[in-house]
Amino acid sequence: MHIAEGFLPPLHAAAWTAVALPFVVVSAWRVNRLMRDQPRIKLLLAASGAFAFVISALKLPSATGSCSHATGTGLGAILFGPSVMALLGTIVLLFQTLLLAHGGVTTLSANVVSMAIVGPWVAYGLLRGARWLNIPLAASVFLAAMLGDLATYTVTAGQLALAFPDPASGFMGSFVKFLGVFAPTQLPLAVIEGLLTVVIVNFLREYSGDELKILQFPLRALATEARS
Amino acid sequence: MRAIDHHAWTNRWRRWHPAEKLLPASGLLVLTLILPPLTTAPLVLAGAVLATVRGAGVPLPTLLSVLAAPTAFLVAGIPFLAVSVDFTQGFDLRLSNDGWWLALTTMLRALAAMSCLAFLILTTPLTDWITSLRRVGVPSGVVELILLTYRLIFVFVERALTGHQAQTARLGHSRVDRSVRSLGWLAGNLFQRALAQARRLEIGLLARGYTGELRVLAPPHVLSRTRLAAGLGLVGLVGAASGLLARGFS
Repeated sequence: MHIAEGFLPPLHAAAWTAVALPFVVVSAWRVNRLMRDQPRIKLLLAASGAFAFVISALKLPSATGSCSHATGTGLGAILFGPSVMALLGTIVLLFQTLLLAHGGVTTLSANVVSMAIVGPWVAYGLLRGARWLNIPLAASVFLAAMLGDLATYTVTAGQLALAFPDPASGFMGSFVKFLGVFAPTQLPLAVIEGLLTVVIVNFLREYSGDELKILQFPLRALATEARS
Repeated sequence: MRAIDHHAWTNRWRRWHPAEKLLPASGLLVLTLILPPLTTAPLVLAGAVLATVRGAGVPLPTLLSVLAAPTAFLVAGIPFLAVSVDFTQGFDLRLSNDGWWLALTTMLRALAAMSCLAFLILTTPLTDWITSLRRVGVPSGVVELILLTYRLIFVFVERALTGHQAQTARLGHSRVDRSVRSLGWLAGNLFQRALAQARRLEIGLLARGYTGELRVLAPPHVLSRTRLAAGLGLVGLVGAASGLLARGFS
């Protein structure tokens, strides 16, 4: 769920930039070093970024009738890990702004915080946690992708509520208001995205064991378990 | 998406130096954000739309379709700025004057800001300003990553559309559950192909002596001081006019 251009007051836009910048800079620094050590990583990441963009532009069937888009944050975190996702997600969001006019330049950092930082970290943490509890892979992937999506949406509602507190009931009232407005589309969407991510991960384990091994990113478990 | 890219490459102002477009667009954007929206936003909106349609020759329907998607977000969210909720005594919904005012000004500000963005993305191809990212201190490796991503996006979109069409022709999207499965397969397939593409690209580049840096020739852009001054003049004019209007209203 992207916050549109010009929606946030300038002070909030600046504050979210301050929040997002350290994450993105650290991620860029790490990715840059990774790319210098192994030039092939650059092509792999470019392909992954383009893939993430196309996935996020896929129209999902949604129960309420309206078509919505996947966020891909869960899948990204599962495949590449959250520290890479901060940069990759920022690049994807930048392209969404410049090629699709989704989101905006002034609200880019607020969107980065919700979709490239919080969402991936929540999804990744949940996946690790669920694997640690020996929950089956499909169920943990579903939980990670769905709750990662919901976390994104909660953060966005929080950002909007901070920018526009309710005159009567303040931040909390406004937060509940924004959560409520977007719930009818976002809740089914999160479930669908969870299911979709499971289908994708199953497909990849079935047919792309070798490719998953190349990634060498966080989920070695996923690759070594792959029935290639 | 392809409409935006198409016009960015073919509009009348395509060959201008990116700064000549970036300066007025960001100037207007800043004005929209800092000045009172009620007087500034309509002027900015008019300025950006005129520059895009009259100046750069982008058809109005294209511009409107670009603005349509974010406007849907606004329409969904804006009414709820006007409504105020109170939980202290049960559940109380009420419309307030302040709320309407906030909703109106936010709507205007967002629309004006979006028109500046639309002007920029419809007149300047992405590659023009990705290369200028290097100048603001983004590591050249990351800039290259962005350029490669840009190139690959179009390759994959093509494939995704073809795959989707093939699935639809085989009734893969006739029910919601089938649709989810088909989309999953499509995405999985795309990912496989994305990695295969990356590997082929790598082999091809290595054969040409790739060491981790792609050298490309950027087409030379000549910075025209007249156009730059005209852009600045427009920003100044809008700023002054909205300032005068605001004073007249108060």
